[in-house]
Amino acid sequence: MKVEKVEIDPISRIIGHINAISVGVKQAIKPERITVEYPRERRKLPDNFRGLILFEKDRCISCFRCAFICPANAIQMELYDNYYPSIDYSKCILCHFCVDSCPTTALKQTKIHDVAFRDLDEMVVHTDEMINPPKLVREDKITVEYKIDRELILERRKEVENLIVDVEPVERIGYHSACVNPQNCIGCALCARVCPANAISVKTEDEKRVLSIDVDKCTGCGLCVRECPTKTLSLVEVV
Amino acid sequence: MEMLEVLVEMFEMFKSNMVNIPLIQPVIDALMNIPIVNYIVALVLWKPFFAIAILPGLGGIMIVLLLMVYWERKLTARIQWRVGPLEVFRPLRGLIQPLADGFRYFFQEVIVHVDSHRPYFVQLPILTFIPVLLPILFIPAGEIVAIRSSYAIQIIVALIALIPITIIAIGWASNSRFAYIGSVREAMMYFAYEVPFVIAVLAMILMYGSGDPYVIVEKQSVPGVIMNPIAFLVFFIATLMATSRLPFEIPEADQEIAFGPFVEYSGILFGIVMTLAYEKLYIMCLLMSILFFGGWNGISIPLLGDLSPAIWLFVKAVVVMLIVALARSIYPRFRLDQALKLGWTSMLLISLVSLALAIVIRLSGWLG
Amino acid sequence: MKEISIDVPVEPPAELKPLFIPIPPEYVEDAYKKDEYLVLVGPQHPGSGHMRIIVRVDGDVIVDAIPDPGYVHRSMEKLAENRLYIQNIPLFERPAIMDNANFNLGYIRAIEEALDIEVPERAKYLRMIMAELCRIGTHLYDAAILAVFIGHTTGFMYPFAIRELICECLVKMTGVRFTSSFIIPGGIRRDADNSVLDFVKKATFEIERRLKNFEKIFIKNPATIARLKDVGVLSKEEAIKYGVVGPFLRASGVEYDVRKVEGYEAYDELDWEIVVADEGDGYSRFLVRVNEINQSLNIIRQAIGRIPEGDVISQDLFENVNANTKNPKDIRGAFYDLFANLKLPLGETTTLTEAARGLLLYTIISDGESNVPYRVRIVSPGWLYLRGFMESLRGERLADLQAIYGSFGYFPPEADR
Repeated sequence: MKVEKVEIDPISRIIGHINAISVGVKQAIKPERITVEYPRERRKLPDNFRGLILFEKDRCISCFRCAFICPANAIQMELYDNYYPSIDYSKCILCHFCVDSCPTTALKQTKIHDVAFRDLDEMVVHTDEMINPPKLVREDKITVEYKIDRELILERRKEVENLIVDVEPVERIGYHSACVNPQNCIGCALCARVCPANAISVKTEDEKRVLSIDVDKCTGCGLCVRECPTKTLSLVEVV
Repeated sequence: MEMLEVLVEMFEMFKSNMVNIPLIQPVIDALMNIPIVNYIVALVLWKPFFAIAILPGLGGIMIVLLLMVYWERKLTARIQWRVGPLEVFRPLRGLIQPLADGFRYFFQEVIVHVDSHRPYFVQLPILTFIPVLLPILFIPAGEIVAIRSSYAIQIIVALIALIPITIIAIGWASNSRFAYIGSVREAMMYFAYEVPFVIAVLAMILMYGSGDPYVIVEKQSVPGVIMNPIAFLVFFIATLMATSRLPFEIPEADQEIAFGPFVEYSGILFGIVMTLAYEKLYIMCLLMSILFFGGWNGISIPLLGDLSPAIWLFVKAVVVMLIVALARSIYPRFRLDQALKLGWTSMLLISLVSLALAIVIRLSGWLG
Repeated sequence: MKEISIDVPVEPPAELKPLFIPIPPEYVEDAYKKDEYLVLVGPQHPGSGHMRIIVRVDGDVIVDAIPDPGYVHRSMEKLAENRLYIQNIPLFERPAIMDNANFNLGYIRAIEEALDIEVPERAKYLRMIMAELCRIGTHLYDAAILAVFIGHTTGFMYPFAIRELICECLVKMTGVRFTSSFIIPGGIRRDADNSVLDFVKKATFEIERRLKNFEKIFIKNPATIARLKDVGVLSKEEAIKYGVVGPFLRASGVEYDVRKVEGYEAYDELDWEIVVADEGDGYSRFLVRVNEINQSLNIIRQAIGRIPEGDVISQDLFENVNANTKNPKDIRGAFYDLFANLKLPLGETTTLTEAARGLLLYTIISDGESNVPYRVRIVSPGWLYLRGFMESLRGERLADLQAIYGSFGYFPPEADR
């Protein structure tokens, strides 16, 4: 398709001037503004908005997936009774790879996006600070939503939007760790040391180490599979 | 004793030429009885002093500056689908924003860089006020005038022609790469608009028959813009060119040469150079309303007495300035050679046509 | 008037000595001996991006222009060698954040080609819709920068307000306004339901309506036409010789668009045209991009009309992997299991994509064993047409530098990577 040729004779120039001035005057009289007067008004965000990340401690199985996948190395695991994630917001790019990696939906997104930290030390958010949402100072009284009918309308409603989203947990296929190549095992017991649920027990029987996996305790996190140097273990679906 | 005689003579001079405002006359009469205060009151209400200091002089300039900066920002924002300054004084929706800006300039550090010619750099912005403010002596507003002369319009045009020289000197004193380019562009723009501008004013003077503003305003039973609209068009475009407003913001092009001759100024000196363009615009709009819109003709309010024509002239000039602010949001910037070509071909031709029209109107004897 | 040359030994001004300028001092002395002036349109200038252009001016006419790019070089290619394949996705969409879907798409298509993954149809259509939305967003951004460089602040605000609608569409689809990291090998991260696609369709009509006002006040403004017409002309042979790509090549008369040459995603199933102009000056480069916005709106509407139902994540990925969830419409829960141990086979894969500003090239070299790439090479369109941009400046006036810069839409972070 060819771009149309532009005319530069005086008549089209005068028409161009008149058109430009008329648009200017029309917008001056009746502007089509799309301004949202933040912070007195706030724009309505969809539920899948990628904001701050909150943590549910009882769902976490300490599988370290979030820390491994983070592109910016912003998640460090801190030891409480078990290892739980903490996020360094000076590095986090809010890509939510960690939220998408978590098998038990222990990390969930919120709609909070305008936070302020007082100094750099505060930007490392420890696990116990991630469980409850941060203290919110809400100055807004009106929620604005962009709706398009024939033209763009800013619908202003006098309500305060709830920034915490209810997230349903994913339907998880259960796995447990199983010893699929017992002939490879060299008895280093790295798997027992690394297991967050203490599901692998080490017994010594006539100068040989025997390791056994307690299937009821195993959460299928996969850490032992990753740690084993001889590819002895593998994840198997729960029947 | 001689000094006392001189003071008494001056007092008599003041009292004989006072502005007459029936609204506050009782207050004035009461104040005239107190010994030293009556001297000050007589001085303030003396017509030349009133014209220079209050209206249409410095007081008018202050009001126009604050109003124009605010209006320009709000109007431009409205056209551009935004809101403009809002937060400074919330109940008034940001009305005192220009005051806050000017106040801020007092606290900024004035940096005079090593390479500049220091005395010129610091003093030239203040010296520029001389050709900018001198025309106020000659512009009458009804009966309020400083110097009554029958060549007032010609003197005003001559004084306006001196302003670009000081701006070129400011750019030269900065001794910087971009300031030099800006000064050269200012010199070129001066050549572009001066000749059509003078011819348009000459056409109007020819039409009315004299350069005395009182004669001009008296003859405008029909406003000048309807009698000679071509001269109005040339005058309007020359105003845009003279005061560096878009679409002719060429010496101060913000994106190309980083604000031209004024690039090295900061602090209160920057505040002063920013107001220069607005004051020049004010003078030219006063001239425009005298020549084309009937000056101070209007419904006279008997309560205000002498002040009523002055307020009419002021209101007309301000309305013209507010409309000039519209051109800022509609047009981009022309290039220097395009503006020069415009000034020397189209505008010169149109101004000669307006001169011919003025001669025809004068010869037909319609204006008497 | 005959010019007389005076052979007086001339010292260049002392201020140029401490500045680190990447040109030899003989050049500086030569310029000053010939009575020409060196203007450094530097990185801190209201009218340049983050790059410096050293301009040699004779009066008001530009004689020579030397670029000094590299102020925003972040060594992305080296950083990519230490990160997993999947962790490079947020890295490689950062060169041009308005155009993130196209940059994402090039990288992901290289991985998919190496691993031989089949992408489902619905995912192809949704990726195409995202890519076209980002293309419109970039063209609007470039138009706004052009407007502000020639002094038209209204022409700057209008495209950004229209772009707000595009960001709103992207928020509803992906969750963030730009840099979405949404395209993954095998599809996209989440499905978009019908209310979202309905909003996107209505948004295209609203964008078209608001563009009419923009057209009257900026595009057809006689002052804009006077400023951009016959400025920075690149003829067809010159454009091909200097390696100009994208809409700037199409404005000089060459019909080349990677979306038609390699019909990736679902571009060959839809009905659209390549926009070409003949003159090769600044105004036609601008008009080509404005018309491309209309073509992109057309593509989006057709795609929304024809999008099939189905999965959005390819089933090839779920084989031989113990993933926590096997939901083909939402990657949540299975992201790590599917992608963290990606190993590409030994060899080299190259893809070409049509980003908004031109041709984008990705090459991934893998050694067959590690889960990080051995070498990733990305050549962005800005780097490819920088030479053509500098050549088009010769012979123009100094004030045209900004107009030509805006008409090319040069974006330093994209060119420097």
